[in-house]
Amino acid sequence: MKRAVVAASIAAGVLLVALLPVFVKSDYPLGVMIGVLLAVSLGAAWNIIGGFAGQYSLGHSAYFGVGAYTIVVLLGRGIAPWWGALLGSILASAVALLIGSICLRLRGAYFVLASIAVAEILRLLALWAKSLTNGAEGILVGEFPPFTIFGHFVTDFTGKPPFFYMALGLAVFCVATNGVIKRTKLGYYLQAIREDQDAAWSLGIPLALYKNAALLISAALAAQAGALTATYVAFMDPNAMLGLDVSVRAVLVCILGGLGTVWGPVAGAIVFALLDEALLRYLTQSHLFGLGMLLILAILFLPDGLAGLAARLRVKARAKARA
Amino acid sequence: MIRLLQAVLGGLLTGGVYALIGAGLSLIFGVLRVINFAQGELVMLGMYLAWLLFTFLHLDPFLSLVVVMPVLWMLGWVLEAVLLDRMHGALPQNQILLTMGLGLVLSNGAMLAFTSDYRLVSTTYSSSSFMLAGVALSQPLAVSFLLTATIATALWFFLARTDTGMAIRATAQDRDAAQLMGIDVRRVSRLAFGIGAALAGAAGALVAPTYYIFPQVGGSFTLKAFVVVVLGGLGSVVGAMLGGLIIGITESLSATYISTELKDVCVYSLFLIVLLAKPGGLLGKAE
Repeated sequence: MKRAVVAASIAAGVLLVALLPVFVKSDYPLGVMIGVLLAVSLGAAWNIIGGFAGQYSLGHSAYFGVGAYTIVVLLGRGIAPWWGALLGSILASAVALLIGSICLRLRGAYFVLASIAVAEILRLLALWAKSLTNGAEGILVGEFPPFTIFGHFVTDFTGKPPFFYMALGLAVFCVATNGVIKRTKLGYYLQAIREDQDAAWSLGIPLALYKNAALLISAALAAQAGALTATYVAFMDPNAMLGLDVSVRAVLVCILGGLGTVWGPVAGAIVFALLDEALLRYLTQSHLFGLGMLLILAILFLPDGLAGLAARLRVKARAKARA
Repeated sequence: MIRLLQAVLGGLLTGGVYALIGAGLSLIFGVLRVINFAQGELVMLGMYLAWLLFTFLHLDPFLSLVVVMPVLWMLGWVLEAVLLDRMHGALPQNQILLTMGLGLVLSNGAMLAFTSDYRLVSTTYSSSSFMLAGVALSQPLAVSFLLTATIATALWFFLARTDTGMAIRATAQDRDAAQLMGIDVRRVSRLAFGIGAALAGAAGALVAPTYYIFPQVGGSFTLKAFVVVVLGGLGSVVGAMLGGLIIGITESLSATYISTELKDVCVYSLFLIVLLAKPGGLLGKAE
């Protein structure tokens, strides 16, 4: 009974958000909403390896960037974006397997440093391979071909609503993936690995297999977030798509919301994206100042995020009700 | 042959600066067990401070060390007392994120204060060089290397020969045991972070005549410093010195023989190889 209520309210919530473009006709609020949904996707993707498995990858810009560059470079060569998006995820998974099989053997701080080094190598290579990426000058993303199903015209990807629906779809898919993982064997194993790798190993959990599986799924989803971000923004350069900022954004969304929870990245992304929007307005290019402050305050006072705060408030309310 | 010698000597000179930054990072890690992701931003602050002193008081950047080091030392002390002291015993990942947030605040704060314009400390000797055994060496880099060596020697003497230095080493070795021996470990932590910050600031002032100064300059120093420190073994100050020189030479050799654009790719690749083959660092023992 209770599960049905929860499922129904989630469906109603998604439907409500989906109806937004029908009522909101101006571009600005829709743009902000797309920003929130893209942050949800990236955060939820990171949450699988960082939140559930406790492996703080600070190199997720690598997967995000691979996804972004694949779709845009292929689009420039006349290949339809849906194939580019698919190939982006496959390539990012391949990169994840390569990185994971090497770096996931490392623990704690060493893994963090190795993941940054790998992402940094990719960024520098993207700056260097000018024939493919146009280097630091970046690429202006070309127009999408119109989308048709069996010859029926669906949309031509002009204006914000098509991107809004794609971002909503991706966000729902990423959060649902988190929900499924949390309730299956994979999720339990990952959480055991997070709590104590040695204990998990001694109980017979193959560490490398499950950590790599988590990284693979996380990378495939991060690549989709990258592909959609690049095509939505319609411009990309190595620093914007492969820079450390991208990875920090992914982590920050999860820290703010609550690591290893299904709804944490959603709550975190809403706070993060709205605040970043406001900060961009007042601090312009120094907007990361506010995010740095936010990160410090979150770590000091809300280490388990908004989800942890909600859980604590619930416990308090229950204790009060009993008294 | 001359080309090789040129690359090695040039790399050695830049490596000295990396060694200084790495030594600070390693000292902080040794005592606090925190990897300071804001180390490069402290270098950036040192550069800006040297620039301010040079532009408004016409103080030579090498002389400005006497101001920059104490100021950064105090800043480090305050940062430890306000932020990191609360984080003792917290998850290492959270400590990393905390210092990362600090780095963002410092670099973007610098952008608010100084704008993102590139600044230069153009001294009369900024681009002058001299010949040594047929090799042209940059004069400011050579002076900064000598000063680096002096500071490194002073640091070694302080850590090895003074009571306070011994207290720092004891705390790094075993925090609880040091506390039981009557060492005020919280004060030692503050001191270590202060020294680490002062070393970073010194490196900043030393490279000020030869580098562009801008708010985001710290990021690349932070990454280089990690590579340096892991290469030498986390927590080992002597190892960090050695690591710094190796990275300086690697960078310069790959710039000479491969490509200037790919020199950092070579540095990070070397880092990954060392991390996998010898995770304890070249001098350290495996963990």
